[in-house]
Amino acid sequence: MPLNNVIETKNLSRVFSSGEIKVYALTTINIVIKKGEFVAIMGASGSGKSTLLNILGCLDKPSSGDYFLDGVHINKLNKNQLADIRNKKIGFIFQSYNLLSRTTAIENVGLPLVYDRTGRFSNPTEIAKKALEQVGLGDRIYHKTNQLSGGQQQRVAIARALVNDPALILSDEATGNLDSKSSIDVADLFVQLNNKGKTIVMITHEPEIAQFAKRMIYLRDGFVLTDELIKNRSTKESALKDLEITVQPS
Amino acid sequence: MKQLIKTFKVAFQALGKNRTRSLLTVLGIIIGVAAVIITISAGEGATKQIQDQISGLGTNLVMIYTKTEHRGGSHVRMGKPINERDLDILQKNAVWMSKISPLVVVGVQAIGPKGYKSSAIYGVSHEYFEILNREIYMGNSFREEDVKSSRKVCVIGETIREKLFLDTDPVGRQIRINKIPFTVVGLLKEEGKGTMGQDQDDMIIAPYTTVQNRMYGYQGGYEMILASALSENHIVNAKNEGLELLRESHKILEGEENDFDITTQVELQEITGNITGILTILLGAIASISLLVGGIGIMNIMLVSVTERTREIGTRLAIGARESDILTQFLIEAVVLSFVGGAIGVLLGIIGNQVIYKLTNFHIPTVGYSILIGFGFAVIVGVVFGFFPARKAAKLNPIDALRYE
Repeated sequence: MPLNNVIETKNLSRVFSSGEIKVYALTTINIVIKKGEFVAIMGASGSGKSTLLNILGCLDKPSSGDYFLDGVHINKLNKNQLADIRNKKIGFIFQSYNLLSRTTAIENVGLPLVYDRTGRFSNPTEIAKKALEQVGLGDRIYHKTNQLSGGQQQRVAIARALVNDPALILSDEATGNLDSKSSIDVADLFVQLNNKGKTIVMITHEPEIAQFAKRMIYLRDGFVLTDELIKNRSTKESALKDLEITVQPS
Repeated sequence: MKQLIKTFKVAFQALGKNRTRSLLTVLGIIIGVAAVIITISAGEGATKQIQDQISGLGTNLVMIYTKTEHRGGSHVRMGKPINERDLDILQKNAVWMSKISPLVVVGVQAIGPKGYKSSAIYGVSHEYFEILNREIYMGNSFREEDVKSSRKVCVIGETIREKLFLDTDPVGRQIRINKIPFTVVGLLKEEGKGTMGQDQDDMIIAPYTTVQNRMYGYQGGYEMILASALSENHIVNAKNEGLELLRESHKILEGEENDFDITTQVELQEITGNITGILTILLGAIASISLLVGGIGIMNIMLVSVTERTREIGTRLAIGARESDILTQFLIEAVVLSFVGGAIGVLLGIIGNQVIYKLTNFHIPTVGYSILIGFGFAVIVGVVFGFFPARKAAKLNPIDALRYE
């Protein structure tokens, strides 16, 4: 398998069974995402987005089919190996930030490095500081999470997802809790990071945000409905302009 | 190892972030450990005090007294009273006893130049002072001739002196005991409160002959005969000798039971040692229960903490923490809490002992092993009760934990 495939799934399925009832959350998903891609995964609730994200994020294992992350065959890994893979190859961004409360930005950002067992980071504080600068919070390093706005908190979370230099950044409704302006800022930050070569997969149900990505995968009932490149990608400027248009009539 | 150090840091940070909760959690442990230390030390202190007083009773003491029985709350004499005959036989035949004194006690009213007091007069031989290690502070004890000719002389304790003479020197002066004039020849060195709280300075000591012959209220016989064994190694010999001579004197046939009792200082020490030992264990057990309650408190708070921090645990798991990392973190938190609680508890226990000493004058030496028990128990409690919440935290499913509201 070529190494520039960050994600490769082969006939991936996930079945939940509670008693007699079997729920087919995902059925024969075949996705290949290459290094440097920026993919939006969309779909209605119950379409299997979250299940897919859990498997892509190595938090869950497929019922059948294979999943390769950055060349590693995930199916074969045990719990500890999965934890190590998450630590090494994935940067998570959550809808509700999931930052540690009453903790400074830099401590939050440094959290993945605490669980690094490879010893590849010689100066955690410096690396965390750099990650915060990358998301434009260089002047908020020692602010505690409760002293930051929602948008700023999400950017701290993004810095945390960057700090371990992952192969894949996984965003689960990162803009779900933010206002439109902050959402556009976060989406724009994704674009900037992608421009620097980061591979990003984001789950969203907001079409405006999905429009920032390069490629969109649409799920329905556990199947891939469409998988196509986005033609008219939004930029920060165009999105802000659209925002004004929608606001003006009122 | 490196990971463990990092986890330690994480655990300490987490505790620091929740100072109030941490403090409340350790409170139970603090109180438990302090209670264990104070109760065990108090028990040991009491034991030591009693032992000291018993050994202060006199070296190699042997006591022979009439058998008594508890009947309706009072002592009733059961056997033949110990009397002059017994004393005579002992004095003539005993080889393992060096000093012998009878003891008779009569309740009296003593009147001095400056006041009066109800007390008791102890009729003894001149050897009594040596047998019981009572030292004379002023003047002298009475002599053998005083006993032989039943002279009206006495030695008084500090409490009597204070009541009867106020601030003056009593030696050589007269007091009236039950209206009979006595000359004070000596003053006992102050001893303070006895084991059972009795005042050991509230006594008048006079020749037993004088008490027998002159005091109204004397009932015949002796309360007991006190003797000293030749040396510590001969206490058992002295006891056996006393037994034999007294059985002979009381004409007790073989196979029949004694109608008197004979006890030595060593036996007394053993008995009280047993009693106070039981007391110490009892107190320690009660204190341990409070420590146990403290431990359950830790478990409780840690369980709440796990629920409250479900999202945090989910996040940690998602970004690459292993189950063992979470387990260790929560275990360390619990153990650190009990360590800190234990340490503060030890400190509080030691201070508590001092405070009790200041307030009640009851000296409690902080016993080394009480610290060990208190602290050790605290740490064990922390590990045991910290383990279950920690395992619960580690076993959380990251997917569910991340979505936990």
